[in-house]
Amino acid sequence: MLELLGHGLAAVMNFEILFMIACGVAAGIAIGALPGLTATMGVALLLPLTFGMDAESGILLLLGIYAGAIYGGSISAILLKTPGTPAAAATAIDGFEMSKRGEAGRALGISAVSSYIGGTLSVILLILISPQLAKIGLKFSAPEYFALAMFGLSIISSVSGKHVLKGIMAGVIGLLVSTVGIDIVTGYQRFTFGNMNLFNGFSFIPVMIGLFALSQSFISLEDMMKKVSIKQSLHRILPTWEDMKKVIPTALRSGLIGTFIGIIPGAGGDIGAFVAYNEAKRFSKHPEKFGTGIPEAIAAPEAANNGVTGGAMVPLLTLGIPGDATTAIMLGALIMQGLQPGPLLFRDHAPLVYTIFVGFLIANFFMLILGFVGIKWFTKIITIPAYILTPVIFVLCIVGSYAINNNFFDVIVMFVSGIIGYVMQKLEFPASPIVLALILGPMAERELRKSLMMSDGEISVLFTRPISAVLLSIAVITFFMPIIKKTITNIRQQREGQK
Amino acid sequence: MKRLTKRLGSVVLIVAMVTIMLAGCAKEEAKFPNGPITMIVPFSAGGGTDIVTRAVADAAKNSLEQPLVVVNKTGAGGAVGMGEGANAKPDGYTVTTICVELTTLPPQDLAPFTSDDFRPIMQINAEPAAITVAADAPWDTVEEFLAYAKENPGKVQIGNSGVGAIWHLAAVAIEKAADVKFNHIPYEGAAPAVAAILGGHIEAVTVSPAEVASQVEAGQLKILGVADNERLNSFPDVPTLKESGYDVAIGTWRGLAVPKDTPDDVMNVLKEAFGQAVKEESFTSFMANSGLTIAILDEAQYREKMNSENKFFKDLVADIK
Repeated sequence: MLELLGHGLAAVMNFEILFMIACGVAAGIAIGALPGLTATMGVALLLPLTFGMDAESGILLLLGIYAGAIYGGSISAILLKTPGTPAAAATAIDGFEMSKRGEAGRALGISAVSSYIGGTLSVILLILISPQLAKIGLKFSAPEYFALAMFGLSIISSVSGKHVLKGIMAGVIGLLVSTVGIDIVTGYQRFTFGNMNLFNGFSFIPVMIGLFALSQSFISLEDMMKKVSIKQSLHRILPTWEDMKKVIPTALRSGLIGTFIGIIPGAGGDIGAFVAYNEAKRFSKHPEKFGTGIPEAIAAPEAANNGVTGGAMVPLLTLGIPGDATTAIMLGALIMQGLQPGPLLFRDHAPLVYTIFVGFLIANFFMLILGFVGIKWFTKIITIPAYILTPVIFVLCIVGSYAINNNFFDVIVMFVSGIIGYVMQKLEFPASPIVLALILGPMAERELRKSLMMSDGEISVLFTRPISAVLLSIAVITFFMPIIKKTITNIRQQREGQK
Repeated sequence: MKRLTKRLGSVVLIVAMVTIMLAGCAKEEAKFPNGPITMIVPFSAGGGTDIVTRAVADAAKNSLEQPLVVVNKTGAGGAVGMGEGANAKPDGYTVTTICVELTTLPPQDLAPFTSDDFRPIMQINAEPAAITVAADAPWDTVEEFLAYAKENPGKVQIGNSGVGAIWHLAAVAIEKAADVKFNHIPYEGAAPAVAAILGGHIEAVTVSPAEVASQVEAGQLKILGVADNERLNSFPDVPTLKESGYDVAIGTWRGLAVPKDTPDDVMNVLKEAFGQAVKEESFTSFMANSGLTIAILDEAQYREKMNSENKFFKDLVADIK
């Protein structure tokens, strides 16, 4: 294997290939940072460009876009509270808080380092143990997916900050909204009112753009009158040793979580980021500080979503099955280059596979470099006066939600979600639970019903399979933990009050 | 002097306006096409329908001498994009990539249009359904598989790419032809269904051979039979279902169409240009590399195929409900 890695390194150390990787990462960061342009769209849009290239350059250009876009999503999440991609939705929670304190540079630095750690870790795992990892991914059947979705949903109580009950209410609203569309088993239309645009339910990216970005613009319209400007300190871009001590362990653990989520076909960066956020909070000595803008809370989702990039390549390369929407397009790219992904790829094209591996590592490194170089420029965005920035964001919201399906209906959805999001902010309802519920609600329903169809209606199938039983138990603990903790502190306070 | 200038000015203005108007008329009379042609793809960028359309567009731009702009209008399983294409101005400047959903959605009341709202230019690509099982499954032929299914009604779990989608309808058609009962498990597209069969969670899938080709080559899956009229070039050893005595030919297809009232002269230009495009070396090698089958049908043949499918799927959907 070392020989093959050496060959890969030699093949990548070529100006054309390095240039392609750098271009891919740079384009990816820009695509990721723009709300509405996701990693999947970036890869799909630039796919035709790669047809004329040789396999190494073409595939690595796309991988560069993939890695760059997943990192890029955090830039707008941190600066504008507008996740550039769904994978950065969890980053917006603490990232924007830190940025509001004038520490946008610090937040972006942490995000770049964590993305690098998560991404690199996942590629190393991809190189070392991808066949073994792929087997774990295949163990997931409907009950396991259901348990994973329930675990994801249980995170709602921990991403809701101090308003657990309001978070749960928001989650339930999200679940209700996610039931709109054609029933996946019977084909019956639910709450569509015959409107063709609702057959597949609400597109969740316009909803997310509305809830996060548009509602935030409404808030800044109010602030515009007050003329508050935040002074951004940009002296320090490289994270301090103090920050690194907190970031590195979190990023390693989260990168691992992301890689595992990535190998499961159908679970992507958005889920990975939320799971890692939750786990970081659970492992933390001061979980109550999550949501106030602390380094670990940015490191966890960012390391995890880039961890997913390497993880998602595992089933693609070893089984020929894409792990998420982006790798589905990558599958097309590989086939176009005459490479049939799957078990035979390693046998027939080993040198090329290792070239891709080494190139993917380099793409992650370029992402780190470009991330740091860019911080100075990125942070300039928030020094733009609100009366210019806010209209620009308005336009981006509209363009972004239109671009997803080229359908004007999505723009209306975005506006309505924006107004709802504004009211929710005013009433201190967190928005992340809605996003989580919209992503995971359909998955939970689909997989539950599939489990029951496959077991002839026997519900015990959910608890007798080991992976699903473990995940469901973690889900129950995760969900009730904040509530139990709160009750305990309440009782203690009462007792102290009585004394 | 001042008045003269003023008068001269107005004369110049009038002349200019007349010239522009004439130029405008001349432009309208010029041969079709004299502007960019929009091609609507009802599915998202990067998918099979998208790459086929982009490849055709690329090959056709030489003979049309006009840019072809591919736009993805996604949603409702293709109904949004095809609906927009059907309602476009019938001037040939909006070409829609139509797919098998044009005949499967209307009988399920999922589309406010039918194939009669289009005038087909040509079919370009078609992929049949196939019965694929794990390589170590106890069945080696379609007969054995369907005999087992008959003895164990509702036991065989068969994965499809979503309720009402073409591979689900294919499984229902096989069910009907063989008089068996499957347990249909819906997945979000073909790839997760293939993953489920690799993981041993379901017994069979009815997706296209191209979607399982790499796992078949690797010896993890085997194709028992294809639901086509003839054997495939890519898998010449796999028998058709008809050979095994089950009269089922079902699959997905993609083609180009314009709104129904498009005039003949415009149609002829498009037929000529796209007919040329699908013969280009760049296009044929692209399709071969992507594992996609070129299956050309002209307007009349294509119309006939859609008419028979309209009836076929209407009956089939009635069976599901």
